[in-house]
Amino acid sequence: MLVLAFDTATDVATSALVLNGEVVGERASRAVRILEDVDSLLAGAALEREAIEGIVVGTGPGSYTGLRMGLVTARALAIALDAPLAGVSTLAALAAGAPGAHPVIDARRSEVFALEEGSPAVMLAEDLPVKPRDAYVGDGAVRYRELLEARGARVPPDDDPVHTPWARHHAALAGGFGSPDAAQPIYLRLPDAEKSLSG
Amino acid sequence: MELILGVETSCDETAAGVVTGDGRILANVVASQADLHARYGGVVPEVASRRHLELVTPVVTEALERAGAGLEDLNAVAVTRGPGLIGALLVGLSAAKALAWSRRLPLVPVNHLHGHVASLYLQPDPLEPPFVCLLASGGHTLLLEVRDRSGFDVLGSTLDDAAGEAFDKGARLLGLGYPGGAAIDRLAREGDPEAFSFPVARVPGLDFSFSGLKTALLYTVRDLEPEEVERRRADLAASYQRAIVRALSERTLEAAEQTGLERIAVVGGVAANSELRCAMGEAALAPLELCTDNAVMIASAARFSPTVPYPGYLALDAYATAA
Ligand SMILES: [Zn+2]
Repeated sequence: MLVLAFDTATDVATSALVLNGEVVGERASRAVRILEDVDSLLAGAALEREAIEGIVVGTGPGSYTGLRMGLVTARALAIALDAPLAGVSTLAALAAGAPGAHPVIDARRSEVFALEEGSPAVMLAEDLPVKPRDAYVGDGAVRYRELLEARGARVPPDDDPVHTPWARHHAALAGGFGSPDAAQPIYLRLPDAEKSLSG
Repeated sequence: MELILGVETSCDETAAGVVTGDGRILANVVASQADLHARYGGVVPEVASRRHLELVTPVVTEALERAGAGLEDLNAVAVTRGPGLIGALLVGLSAAKALAWSRRLPLVPVNHLHGHVASLYLQPDPLEPPFVCLLASGGHTLLLEVRDRSGFDVLGSTLDDAAGEAFDKGARLLGLGYPGGAAIDRLAREGDPEAFSFPVARVPGLDFSFSGLKTALLYTVRDLEPEEVERRRADLAASYQRAIVRALSERTLEAAEQTGLERIAVVGGVAANSELRCAMGEAALAPLELCTDNAVMIASAARFSPTVPYPGYLALDAYATAA
């Protein structure tokens, strides 16, 4: 099965082409260039877009605009190429790339996205439960390195690829392929206007 | 027969449409978010973007179905690249790029304002340039000189609020609903437009200013007893609307005079206002359903815009404001 996977929820947009479990190409750039990456991956593997049998997209959490660009691209491709779609959380993909480490994504406004009992959650960076000697990965871990290290955690060097949610992991983790609506965004926060209405 | 799919998500309408090369409308699907934003009294960008993501693929699918066409029948995909809400634009642009790429189709990035003007180039009654065009909506108030179908020159624009915004803010001050244009229009029919005298700002050149008008309404409402405001709400609405319409129509006539162009056209959401339609009796008006944001106007503009063949558009970005 030829699977196209990509994730545009963080500043580094990743993409991968995976044939029967083998990574045949992988790229990293930015959300706005994701189709260019996909095009290059196919060209590099001498494959046509019609050969894509499944699409996997990162569902965040992360930058709302980036996340939506990936999801809408994936849904449109799923419809146009008549390929089933699956969503994989960006946190799960990060975790899969660094077994034993805790994934942390920068949520801006002094907050981070992290896993809380296995589920994505948003919290203030300073409220992140830190286990001494454990490793923390992702752009949130890099951003709050000082805070984490001060509490005894380990954060790999900034340029370590372990901080990037590589799309090969999305492809590996993808479970139930389904209709274009199968992949839903993980926002974790209401729009500000909604908060002030209910607040 | 040439077929163009248009996609528009620059503000709070998620729209897709199919137009033929000679300007016939085969499908015009618009999912309005007006109800969604009514509770906030205005468009909330993050709320709009989230809704666009939910709606854009179903809306495209429906437009193609209604046109009786498949992606394989298309010759190009047209999409609004800007100006507008950047996060909202990127949803439509990403969708359009993916659809075009999947069939190796060319993409036509369209300026939203050009789209509004191009709503006049559709069948059954396409308008031939040259003409002066008033574009008035919730986001824009512009006077344009249109010499040919490929674009326009800006003669004047608003220095503060857009005309549609002025309607919205006035409606809020009068305790009316959102969107304000329709609410004021409805109420104004029962009121006396001469009851209150609101100033029409005179700014130099062919520009507009509506912030003083809004302030004048605010002071008038504040100085009246609440029961008086309640009793004279229709008069206030009618007088306020009269001031906006007068500002728009006078400036448009000045523009026609200065450019020596005889023909005048009015496009944009505010062109749905009944008093403006009356005041601009001689003008060419877009059909009501094409006044507010839609995607057939984007597909129409694409017929007169540069086409970007595959793969030139793969990294194309949106722009929030016109350069
Ligand atoms: Zn518009």
